[in-house]
Amino acid sequence: MGNRILYIITFFGLLISTSLQAQDGFTKKWTAEKIKGTRQIPYGVYSGSPFLNDKFATGEIEFSDGSKMDSLGLRYSSYRDEIIYYNATIGAQIIIDKISLNGFSFTDEAGQNRVFRQQYYDGFLPGNRYFEVLSDGDIALLVYRKVVLQVCPPYNDNSGVLKNMSYQDAYNYYLYNRQKGYELIRLNRNSLISNFDKLTQKSVKKILRKNKVQVTDESSFVIAWNLIKENGIIINF
Amino acid sequence: MKRKIVILLLIFASFIIKAQQKEILNLFTDRDLYISGETLLLKVFASSGEQSGIINIDLVNRSGKKITGAILELINNQADGFLYLPDSLSSGFYLLRSSTRTNKMLTSKELYIANRFTGLPESNSDLQPAGLIPINETGVPDLQIIGVEKQYKLREKGHATLQIPTTLIDKVDGDLSFSIASVNQEFTSPQFLEKSEPEARQSAVKEGIIIEGIITDLKTGKPFKNAVVYLSIPDSIPGFQYFITADDGLFNFQVGKYYGKIPVVIQCFAKENSNLLKITLKDHSNLKNTMPAFERRTFTSEFKKNVEKATAAVTFRKIFNQQDIAIQPSPVVKRDAYPYYGIPTKTIDPQQFVDLPNFNEISKELLPGVKFRNYNRNPTLQVLNAAQLYYFTEQPLLLLDGIPIRDLNVIKDMGSKEIDKIEICMNERFYGDLIFPGVVAIYTSKADYTRVPESNDLIKLNLEVIQPRAIFNTPSDLRLNDPDLRQVLLWKPSLKPASKMELDFQTSDIKGSFKLIIHGKTRDGSTFYKEQIFEVN
Repeated sequence: MGNRILYIITFFGLLISTSLQAQDGFTKKWTAEKIKGTRQIPYGVYSGSPFLNDKFATGEIEFSDGSKMDSLGLRYSSYRDEIIYYNATIGAQIIIDKISLNGFSFTDEAGQNRVFRQQYYDGFLPGNRYFEVLSDGDIALLVYRKVVLQVCPPYNDNSGVLKNMSYQDAYNYYLYNRQKGYELIRLNRNSLISNFDKLTQKSVKKILRKNKVQVTDESSFVIAWNLIKENGIIINF
Repeated sequence: MKRKIVILLLIFASFIIKAQQKEILNLFTDRDLYISGETLLLKVFASSGEQSGIINIDLVNRSGKKITGAILELINNQADGFLYLPDSLSSGFYLLRSSTRTNKMLTSKELYIANRFTGLPESNSDLQPAGLIPINETGVPDLQIIGVEKQYKLREKGHATLQIPTTLIDKVDGDLSFSIASVNQEFTSPQFLEKSEPEARQSAVKEGIIIEGIITDLKTGKPFKNAVVYLSIPDSIPGFQYFITADDGLFNFQVGKYYGKIPVVIQCFAKENSNLLKITLKDHSNLKNTMPAFERRTFTSEFKKNVEKATAAVTFRKIFNQQDIAIQPSPVVKRDAYPYYGIPTKTIDPQQFVDLPNFNEISKELLPGVKFRNYNRNPTLQVLNAAQLYYFTEQPLLLLDGIPIRDLNVIKDMGSKEIDKIEICMNERFYGDLIFPGVVAIYTSKADYTRVPESNDLIKLNLEVIQPRAIFNTPSDLRLNDPDLRQVLLWKPSLKPASKMELDFQTSDIKGSFKLIIHGKTRDGSTFYKEQIFEVN
């Protein structure tokens, strides 16, 4: 008899949840934002990759009105600073209009969640850019994952064609504050420490030493940056 | 054990009933007796759990036909609005209904509307809804109205102080509604509940209204699958939605936050073949809700006198063009920063160049990357794909004042003088699952889209969407020496509750009984009121 009560409760529970789900689905259909964009034209084939992620990764985009769309196959073109999604219904790779987005995020092959934010860059070659957010906050640590097509020593590609161009990383790292704007930063210890005043530099060094952090690359820089933030040290920016 | 199951089921049922009771809307009007040509003012309170963001107000006649209506936006679980009662309304009892798409109960109010020209029926009686169970409203004795006299003279200033205990303020959900209007002691009508058929009405979910319809094959009359239905809202940045039909041929759109009356164009075409299609919009004028029973009611001489008095007042107000309300500008709604067809590659203003007689000349002389040819009276249009430097073989998306058109004959005779600007997108554009092989958007100088012909597969609508906000006109808006024949002395549908509220009013040239009434809703879903009647001699 106890089971019967359980069945009754489960039945009514399911009844309520399905009706709620149906209502939600109906509303979503009406209010869903549509992706606007243009067809992606294949880039020239050279050594290196114009994309941050060669395979489409599942992710979500955030429209400029704040609404989100998830479960999209996304690929970030570092070469053109464009986000491309695959529309399975029409079988097309579409460059989403940059102006229509606030940002996007996807999980890369290593399982790491990559978050990109679209914002205006007022430095050299001003315009709207996608910046990857390495660490967010009042002062954010951003990276502009630019890939450039550069002349390189001649080489033969897979088809045996002689070429002298390749896609090369030209990443730029910035500290960003809404009021103060961007400050270019290099991925080394000195560059990190120089952002603090003399008195604070000591404690920063102490923290890095204590946690055995050698700032040599992007990941160690991010670790160091987060450690400094956790310790409540104010950056001179 | 059986008893336990029964108890469990009873508890569950009581929860459902309680939830339904709390989901009801509460509808209040400024008066119960109206004259055709007047403005009816109304206030709706919704429960805090109301899912819909929109309330539908329908005025229906005895046979259940919708006469007029309004779509109100729910803000903080309440809405206020108005209805212009058409001059052509015949005298009789009407039902004012408030509903949402999801509510299973309608809240209705019975009104008597007398025709301004014919007056009451010669039989001195009319059919009145009967057997209605009114929604109980609780009177609140601790809400005090101070300073209101029992009698006032004509055009005398009055003042009311409302004292609301803090215990009540804490319980109030949202605002209070306050009104002073003439009252007919012979006829008062409470609000009551009716069962509803939610799927049968055009309404809304969170914001905006829903447009529904069906696409059928013109030859067979059967629902058409895979028809692409476009909804366009002509504007400087046109609004656009699309829908691809399934087996049932049905489509629906939600027209978002638009206010007042907007032009809407609905069109359809077959995705894969050239079938002739027909759009049929759902007709919502005949509400399927069952009507209550009616019984004959004979009017008293007092009622008749009141109607005659009100008719004269309304007629004079019409002569002097005195309006009860003033429409407020619609709130600014953030829309797309650029058109759905993308940021144009080029924008050309043909009027800045030498006058050209037709679109063929315009495309040749002024539009880079646009090929418009009119060989053998069979016009063609192509746009250059600038990224790959070839002309798209398919016809681009052609828009006239934001409305997609497929018949090129519509634009072939358009000269420079008629065109304000032309926007061209020289790339393959995508909008959701739609592909546009280039875009040519023509904006005409008149911007009236009269060139777009209406047909079976294209319907032009002047759609009544969310009602704009309106404020009640005060006597200071009247010109000196004009008769003041207001029957509503004050209408403040959204007053923030405070422990002490001061309200000023001025009586008009109308003699008789007036009722000051305050309505509010508590967090538990019940409504309360306090009223005071005074005479004007």
